[in-house]
Amino acid sequence: MTSSASLPAAPFTERKAKLLEIGSGLVKAGGADEIEVVFIEGRSYLTRFSRNHIHQNVGTEEIAAVIRVVVGKRLGVATASSLAPEALAGAREEAVAIARASDPVDDWPGLPPPRPVEPLDAYDAATAEASAELRAQMAGAIILAARGKRGEAAGAVEVEEGTVAVASSTGVAVAGSSTRAEVRTVVTCGDGSGYAEGLSSRVGDIDARSIGRRAARKAADSRNPQPLAPGRYDVILEPSATAEWLEFLSYIAFSGKNFDEGRSPFSGRLGQRVTGEAVTILDAPRDLRGLPQAFDYEGMPTERLTLIQRGVAKAVGTNYYRARRLGKRRSTGHGLPASTSYECLPLHLFMKGGDSNLERMIRETKRGLLITRFHYTNILDPMKTVLTGMTRDGTFLVENGEVVGPVKNLRYTENVLEALGRIDGLSRRLVAAKGPCIVPALRIRDVQFTGATEF
Amino acid sequence: MKAFLDRACDLMRQAGATYGDIRIREDRKQEVNVKDGRPEHVATERFAGFGVRVIVDGAWGFFGTHRLEESQIEPAVRQAVAIAKASASLPHTPVALAPLEPAVGTYVTPHQIDPFAVPLEEKLALLAAATKAMRGPNLKLAQAFASAYWAHQHFASTEGARIEQTIIQTGGGIAATAIAAGDLQVRSYPNSFRGNFATGGWEYVRAMHLLEEAPRVAEEAEALLAAPPCPEGRRTLILDGGQLALQVHESCGHPIELDRVLGMELSYAGDSFLTLNKLDAFTYGSPHVNIVADATAPGGLGTFGWDDEGVPAQRTPIVEAGRFVGYLSSRETAPAIGRTSSGAMRASGWHRIPLIRMTNVNLLPGSAGRLEDLIADTDDGLLLATNKSWSIDNKRLNFQFAAEMCREIKGGKLGQLYKNATYTGITPEFWGACDAVCGPEAWALWGTPNCGKGEPSQTARVGHGVAPARFRNVQVGVRA
Repeated sequence: MTSSASLPAAPFTERKAKLLEIGSGLVKAGGADEIEVVFIEGRSYLTRFSRNHIHQNVGTEEIAAVIRVVVGKRLGVATASSLAPEALAGAREEAVAIARASDPVDDWPGLPPPRPVEPLDAYDAATAEASAELRAQMAGAIILAARGKRGEAAGAVEVEEGTVAVASSTGVAVAGSSTRAEVRTVVTCGDGSGYAEGLSSRVGDIDARSIGRRAARKAADSRNPQPLAPGRYDVILEPSATAEWLEFLSYIAFSGKNFDEGRSPFSGRLGQRVTGEAVTILDAPRDLRGLPQAFDYEGMPTERLTLIQRGVAKAVGTNYYRARRLGKRRSTGHGLPASTSYECLPLHLFMKGGDSNLERMIRETKRGLLITRFHYTNILDPMKTVLTGMTRDGTFLVENGEVVGPVKNLRYTENVLEALGRIDGLSRRLVAAKGPCIVPALRIRDVQFTGATEF
Repeated sequence: MKAFLDRACDLMRQAGATYGDIRIREDRKQEVNVKDGRPEHVATERFAGFGVRVIVDGAWGFFGTHRLEESQIEPAVRQAVAIAKASASLPHTPVALAPLEPAVGTYVTPHQIDPFAVPLEEKLALLAAATKAMRGPNLKLAQAFASAYWAHQHFASTEGARIEQTIIQTGGGIAATAIAAGDLQVRSYPNSFRGNFATGGWEYVRAMHLLEEAPRVAEEAEALLAAPPCPEGRRTLILDGGQLALQVHESCGHPIELDRVLGMELSYAGDSFLTLNKLDAFTYGSPHVNIVADATAPGGLGTFGWDDEGVPAQRTPIVEAGRFVGYLSSRETAPAIGRTSSGAMRASGWHRIPLIRMTNVNLLPGSAGRLEDLIADTDDGLLLATNKSWSIDNKRLNFQFAAEMCREIKGGKLGQLYKNATYTGITPEFWGACDAVCGPEAWALWGTPNCGKGEPSQTARVGHGVAPARFRNVQVGVRA
């Protein structure tokens, strides 16, 4: 058995201080020209239910110490899952050995120098202390709502608290704690199914009963779906569907690494029109409606970054290395842990809304589809942002301004930036959806559906 | 270690668990990425901890911690029990596990060269040389990858099982990315998304001959840029090993997971069209289609000694001459079909519960000889090679997959090169249209290292043995 230094169980402020103390100690111990230590620790609990009972229920406490060293512009990264001094020293030595075996990165700019980080109120004690009983009660409320429609509920209630601390040889020393609560459910009523979700840094903000009722109502309404031929349809995307497209756009287009390597559809096109004027997409990591984050995994402050403004490509998210390669003095605060090769990515997407609402969008649709969410989206052509995926858990035909009934699920294959160029309605109300994304409902003309399934 | 395991089992019994198990696990991982002749990302990870899983009052609870200390056993058991009691607070049918003779034993992945003992300099030299050998006027990225995984686990259950297991997995590959005029084409070898993977040692990567294959891979990426898009229509398809492995994974491997069938994954990955009433009573494919789930296949990425419930590795018939005959199952789910567990419960680490995962879901070889023989036997069709994109509905019926490369077949010979080839279908119709599977001489194991499932999410490394196969009258391209 190995021994491990222990973290105070509570309060979280002491955990932050302890992690910074350990990180700073490791940095001071040296062993490389530059060194950065990132601690990511937390406790997460997830109660999963299906067929109206809890079938999986788990809790974990985890820690990762990601150590990045630089030896004469040669880089190495090693991760340990312990705070034990021998484990951390071992990881540092492993990182140094990797660096010594590697070639120098000629344009390495050094680790980023410290910048002031404005703290955020992202920690909610009630969420951190949410008990297994509370999670069961929330699952029970959803199940009750499903039973009210003679349905069955499946889903998850998840709560998490964690602390991230970054210390480096350039003087970076920041730590922050946060909480997260997510509830999602699929309710089935015979051959109908409905989805609803809620997400917040505060578990008290999530109304499980309301989420259950929304999903149950949709499940009941989507019974006996009728087949519909593939083709082009106007669509109304509910926020969960909008969020899925945005997440994929971020992965394809908004990464500073992809941009730098010429693999982003934005490569060489900043300042050019890439989609319609109705589209303004930001990264908003400090928005309290989502899951706010005060600094990235290099310890750099996060800030709003406009990615697309009125249809024009404006920026991509970078870490310090990519920022300097792209001729910028500072990173945009989108660095990922050095243990991943993705490097940088906007993770708190925000899409500006309009002046419409879901009901009005339905009223204004002569013939189209109301789509709750997508399933198994994947990339067919990254440079053209062509995605494919299925509809799921509530797809309805709209005719002459009214929802006339459920339809069997369809496959779309669509150039998403082009499709967003055909938006003719955005809801004023924005919703926090999985991602996290803060997004409106959208109405889009002529979306291409290329296949159908049997349910 | 014995005292640690015994103590946990004693505490679980004392706390009222009718069943309990503990997994103490250490993981090592090394990823080496080289780009354009230089190391791009080299990283190692070590994770260690333990997780306890209990049934109390007929319901499950689990708690895992990185604090691998004897003093943490009691708090972890206490947490797991409290969580189980909360599970039991809602109406439920008590969990009943299929019977199992408790196993005592050890297993180590057969291997020749420990991938973690190979000097990093040797790996970097091989990968750098391979990337330097990929050249072309439009080649913007030449990448090479090597990966190594080591997992050492002690498993003990309150039923008396005591298993020590070491799994070693190794992989590697190369990829050439050509970009011009707003088009991007990738060609990979031996498979896309970081290459191919197996249980075994560094000898597996050495045998790939990455350096020798690199020039061809680069040439094909360049050629794809200049190639026309694949025309839409209904065509005869031959899928090569890499593409067919993905087809098996998505359209057979996932829908045969019995937890999906029972709705346990409904809200996330979905359920399955292979409902219980279809067992032994459904035509999944043509008589050419024979599929097994085989955790004993030497070298398979999903090969082990016991699963993470202590069930021995086994070979389970899934499809026999086109007829659907079996599921991947667990001790909890197997009673639903009146069988014992097929030994498919696997966890991605100490911090996750085991879920039903693919082992090696293999399409058995047919009698169509080598790939060249099958091409020669095809008058008019398309050969699709190496997966590029995948998407399938939540019951695993409607799929649409894309391949990196497509070659037309005319009169039994390969012809025109096409890019951006996609094909789509409905799973049982597609497998029903299979009219030939290549023979044992063309059969190979493919590793899928990125299979996602579960909440919290888990990534599993699973295997698929296939020989290239032919499918008739398949929709190619998008028909809007």
